[in-house]
Amino acid sequence: MSFFLLARQSLASSVFPGRAWEQGSKKAMTPHINPQPVTRREMLSRCGMGFGALALADLMKQTGLIEPTSAQAATNYVSPLSPKPPHFAPQARHVIHIFLNGGCSHVDTFDPKPKLAEYAGKPLPMPNLPTERKTGAAFPSPYKFQKYGESGIEVSEIFANVGSVIDNFCVVRSMHADVPNHEPSLLLMNCGEARLVRPSMGSWLTYGLGTENQNLPAFIAMCPGGYPIQESQNWQAGFLPGIYQGTYIDTKHTDIEKLIEHVKNNHVAPAEQRRQLDLLQQLNARHSAERAHDPQLEARIQTFELAYRMQQEAADAFDVNLEPKHIREMYGPGTQARQILIARRLIERGVRFVQVWHGEGQPWDNHDDIEVNHRKLAGQCDQAIAALIKDLKQRGLLEQTLVLISGEFGRTPTVELPTPGSNAGKVNGRDHNHYGFTMLMAGGGVRAGYVHGATDEFGFQAVEKKVHVHDLHATILHLLGFDHEKFTYRYAGRDFRLTDVHGNVVRELIA
Amino acid sequence: MKTFAKACCAVLAVVVLWQCRARGASPTQDKVSPQDIDFFEKEIRPLLAANCFECHGEKKQEAGLRLDARLPAMRGGDEGPVIKAGDPEASKLVAAVRYTGDIQMPPDGKLPSEKVEVLAAWVKRGAPWPDHGSLVPSDDDSSDKAENHWAFQPVREPPLPTVNGSDWVRSPVDAFILARLEAAGIAPSKPADRRTLLRRVTLDLTGLPPTPAEVEEFVNDASPNAFEQVVDRLLASPRYGERWGRFWLDYARYSDTKGYVFQEDRNYRFAYVYRDWVIRAFNEDLPYDQFLVRQIAADRLPRESENNQQLAAMGFLTVGRRFLNNKYDIIDDRIDVVMRTTMALTVSCARCHDHKFDPIPTADYYSIFGVFDASVEKLLPIAPPSAEFEQGVREREEKLEKFMEEKRRDLEARLRADAAEFLLATRSPPGTDENMLRRDRKTRITERWRQYLSERGKEFDPLFAPWCAFAALADGEFEKHAVSLSASFAKADVEGGRLNTLVAKAFAGEPPKSLAEVSARYGRLFAEIDAEWKKSADDAKTKNEPPPTALAGADAEQIRQVLYGSDSPLVLPGDMLDRSLERPDRNEARRLRQEIEKFRTTSKSAPLQAMGMEDAARIPPKTRVLLRGSPGRPGPEVARQFVSVVAGESREPFNEGSGRLELAHEIVAADNPLTSRVLVNRVWTHYFGQGLVRTPSDFGLRSDPPSHPELLDYLASRFVAEGWSIKKLHRWILLSSTYQQSSEDRPEARAKDPENLLVWRMNRRRMDLEALRDSLLFVAGQLDATIGGPAVNIVTAPFSKRRSVYGQIERQNLPAFFRTFDFATPDSHSPQRFTTTVPQQALFLMNSPFVIEQAAALVKRPEIESAAEPGDRIQRIYALLFGREATTDELALGEQFVTAGDGAESNWQRYAQALMVSNEFLFID
Repeated sequence: MSFFLLARQSLASSVFPGRAWEQGSKKAMTPHINPQPVTRREMLSRCGMGFGALALADLMKQTGLIEPTSAQAATNYVSPLSPKPPHFAPQARHVIHIFLNGGCSHVDTFDPKPKLAEYAGKPLPMPNLPTERKTGAAFPSPYKFQKYGESGIEVSEIFANVGSVIDNFCVVRSMHADVPNHEPSLLLMNCGEARLVRPSMGSWLTYGLGTENQNLPAFIAMCPGGYPIQESQNWQAGFLPGIYQGTYIDTKHTDIEKLIEHVKNNHVAPAEQRRQLDLLQQLNARHSAERAHDPQLEARIQTFELAYRMQQEAADAFDVNLEPKHIREMYGPGTQARQILIARRLIERGVRFVQVWHGEGQPWDNHDDIEVNHRKLAGQCDQAIAALIKDLKQRGLLEQTLVLISGEFGRTPTVELPTPGSNAGKVNGRDHNHYGFTMLMAGGGVRAGYVHGATDEFGFQAVEKKVHVHDLHATILHLLGFDHEKFTYRYAGRDFRLTDVHGNVVRELIA
Repeated sequence: MKTFAKACCAVLAVVVLWQCRARGASPTQDKVSPQDIDFFEKEIRPLLAANCFECHGEKKQEAGLRLDARLPAMRGGDEGPVIKAGDPEASKLVAAVRYTGDIQMPPDGKLPSEKVEVLAAWVKRGAPWPDHGSLVPSDDDSSDKAENHWAFQPVREPPLPTVNGSDWVRSPVDAFILARLEAAGIAPSKPADRRTLLRRVTLDLTGLPPTPAEVEEFVNDASPNAFEQVVDRLLASPRYGERWGRFWLDYARYSDTKGYVFQEDRNYRFAYVYRDWVIRAFNEDLPYDQFLVRQIAADRLPRESENNQQLAAMGFLTVGRRFLNNKYDIIDDRIDVVMRTTMALTVSCARCHDHKFDPIPTADYYSIFGVFDASVEKLLPIAPPSAEFEQGVREREEKLEKFMEEKRRDLEARLRADAAEFLLATRSPPGTDENMLRRDRKTRITERWRQYLSERGKEFDPLFAPWCAFAALADGEFEKHAVSLSASFAKADVEGGRLNTLVAKAFAGEPPKSLAEVSARYGRLFAEIDAEWKKSADDAKTKNEPPPTALAGADAEQIRQVLYGSDSPLVLPGDMLDRSLERPDRNEARRLRQEIEKFRTTSKSAPLQAMGMEDAARIPPKTRVLLRGSPGRPGPEVARQFVSVVAGESREPFNEGSGRLELAHEIVAADNPLTSRVLVNRVWTHYFGQGLVRTPSDFGLRSDPPSHPELLDYLASRFVAEGWSIKKLHRWILLSSTYQQSSEDRPEARAKDPENLLVWRMNRRRMDLEALRDSLLFVAGQLDATIGGPAVNIVTAPFSKRRSVYGQIERQNLPAFFRTFDFATPDSHSPQRFTTTVPQQALFLMNSPFVIEQAAALVKRPEIESAAEPGDRIQRIYALLFGREATTDELALGEQFVTAGDGAESNWQRYAQALMVSNEFLFID
């Protein structure tokens, strides 16, 4: 715990004055990972500090192994993941993105359309918009909606628990994307570009902000059972250094070794490993002593100490059994509940960005049997999402944690027609719909209890206060303290942005 | 016929304006008079600012148009100039604000008419625009800068500088380095000791440390050319190609897989053939110019022998990611990999708009695009394929062809039947969607019709003139004008030319009541001609005559051409046919293709094949610019040709097939100022950790100038003059005093040059992923020296003992091990590895079974195990790992460690592991 306190304090003093990047705003966010960090000045200018470094430096000084200046250098070890201030004081410092992959139907969950009942089984009064497959008549939601909370926002019965905390949410009902296919829409939602190789939002944020806990990966993508569609491209670092890529965790497992690679050494007892590490550090200290002034050497010495601590810290972070019973019960049973609870544990420990995918492939892609399947899927995460909001709130973490819930797009309000070789002719599901869908946002400076924008009377297309995915990204970056137009990375002759040449901050979403 | 003229004039104007632009009508103006300045500042600028800048200003340039500064405003938008000085009637800007053309601006409401006329009056005055404090750099500025930019100047061999410390100068490299050092008042560093130097050069050239015997031999070799002999020995080792070939694979974004490709087989089963070719080329010191030409156009070169190994070189073009099989992105990737790797030009930046900083116009991007668009990728057998294999491929290809032909017939017949509907659809505004993915068949075919009509509408068209004229009528006034318009078509001879008589007849009677009726009449006409054509084909069949090639009447044939001609919008190019199929058919086509590919790659009879390219069967004479990079918006035509920044304005278009070979030859031309400089700088970068130019893949205007321009030019010119030999280049660098300096810090030198730009010492470097993994295997005595072959899994147990260069690179889900150790991204050209220091690296070295296995193997080496005394053992481990003796201190430390606790044998393993992951092992002094 003391370690966290140290991390938090050093962060508090370095983040909020937040002038560092404004001074060189033109150069702000150009790569500060040089292929070869040569000078100490360079190293120091990267700000932040290595945790636990003091102790090691002391040890080295005591044993007379290093001169004071190297001790200084060691104290100032900076990882490319050390915390860094954004452009301006942020409202959110962490993100939890709950990804209902496959495409959650907005008209069955957070965007009620009574008009569909009126047209049930009949064609809509206007032509159906073209989606991936042919759709037919109006298909009213099989679920009941009711108003919740002070805000009176309507929520479907399958998300009744989320309904109970809906006053914390900003419900964006006017989201839209570009195409009705999973692959490009997943990449757009995650990386801001449908096909080309670009860093994901989590990579951008860890590149820009570093992370508050060096003992855990900065950006974690959890998905039980295997990858979602597009696989690890969803959390890719693109042209940013590989360390900014999301670390994938298969939350089907509970065994720590299966969750994080090489986090445990089965060949050696902890005490013996400590002895081995002490030997290594003595050797390294001698080596450094003969090679004055080389921050790279000191940096590497530090990482072994961090790694040593990571072994325990990571194991703890993923072990929900360390939670009291009432908390576990609050989240409920099952894999979704477990991974959402893990998300909270990670955020609490300073992890920057956590993505929680519902499952392998595309579970929410209900081209048929939507009534049964959406009910089942919502049932798996509804209670845990509500618990997450309450839990973050009671810990004072909600205000600094941005929670996002959505799929890569929504679904059609019209029924999908049978297509040979696809949905077995059931005619009780919905096709993909990128013209309009809903995104839930909570915490981290978001305007709570507010519904933004609207789809048309049937829910086919966003029509009021439309929010494109690029606008969403611009807004998220803003909440985390970045001007999305200035947050750039120079690569191949261009200054790239998460929002490319698009995106406007949607001020109304911000409290 | 005034109406008709007007109808087609919008199209014409665009064409004329484009021509002006192409001829280089430069947007210059004479000096602006004070009255004009006054007029502009009082009337025009505020008007533009209030109504236009929001979408056509600094932040946004809708349609590529920017109106907040003179130069861009005069240059115009994506579709050419919008202001024709002196001629408001011909200025699209004026038409737009008058709401008379297709484009009506501002979109949310017409300006008051007095404002509109003020703008027209300004254009009539010659559109004077004072250019003080221009908001964007003027053309002249940037072309000046480009003209003087160091990287675009010819490479000339500079004379060697005179220096004082001539005894330090062992090679020309040293003269250039010392000259700068002396000028800065810094002395070079002392030479590295022999052990350090041998470890450095061995790791640099082979990616492996020297053996203890090699160390002792070199340390004890007193001959003056001892080091030279070491260098030659290492350059001759096959380990050299495995090391330096891997560097090249970084540039070539090498991967053994395709990335995400839906249900297709993800593996590039023959990618390794390219990897092995690269390694061999380095080992054989294939001259660099030939090395490049083969990678770009080996298919166009004469065969070497029966076994055409060189075809493998084209993997350079083809091992990229598939981008959901989007052709434009695949070509973009190829342009990028070729241009940045060979010339450090960021041509890809010009895909959507002219390069923001470098003199690379979008037109040049599409000149290169055309080269790759006229090439098709193909697996090319390296050894002659067996008859059985060829037969198998042919059978499967025929199956696919037959299927596609059938589908084509069905589809085209349907499109012909729906011609009237498409004709009408061209009048509804085109979708704003620029992403082809979203387009359904109907929009795509409509788009083809629209382009077809606009092409035909450029001149008087005997078939579609009435269509143009009717289509130009405003909705409310259709019936009013249709009468007189119909009357004018009663005779085939109309103003502008002669109508097709069948068309004239169709409009001779009752005037049409709506545009839908006009299109229906065309539809009927098409149907009649189609029926006539089908009948004549059937007749020929029954009479056993050869099928007809044309209809009898010239007018009828003219109409048939619309339905069947080679430029008909109904005759679909291959990729479009594919996308236009219904889902089950598309699935079937995919299945058939997969069958071919599966047979080609995995059948027992499959020969070794290269991932090659060939020129396409049909190559259009020119290629089209895609406006804003959007495939849905074809712009003006450009020739396939080299980039103007290197080739100059007098360049000739490529005229052999796709032009790939010509492209390759331009890249390696002796007077290309970039290619040799770029390569020399890359090699330098590997040795010193930083280049003479610090952005090895961007030599554009935003790159830093070289730290030693003369040295760069000296090496580049010698490199070309001496036959593009990379091994010679290595020798020039390695045999210099510069390379052989110690890496020790010197505070007084550091104070003057903290970043070591002047190379007053060697930079200490850390082993990269390959050097680290291979060296661990090597010192453990485990390294499997097998050369080449299909990729092996190096990440999971049981751990492969092959060199890392042979490890499977799975680009879609690159294993954490690669990312953790800063491996080059296999998704795009990688100029240089990052060097990050993160705890995940330490975690791997502490806990991974791979490392633990190597430590165990090391202590089991016979020479280690056989040493009876702990001290002796420690000494042998030190010799293996560090090439030196352990000090007394280190001996004591080691002995203490291994005898502690129960003194278990496993202590030795943990001891060895600590040494193997120590800084001394990982860093190269």
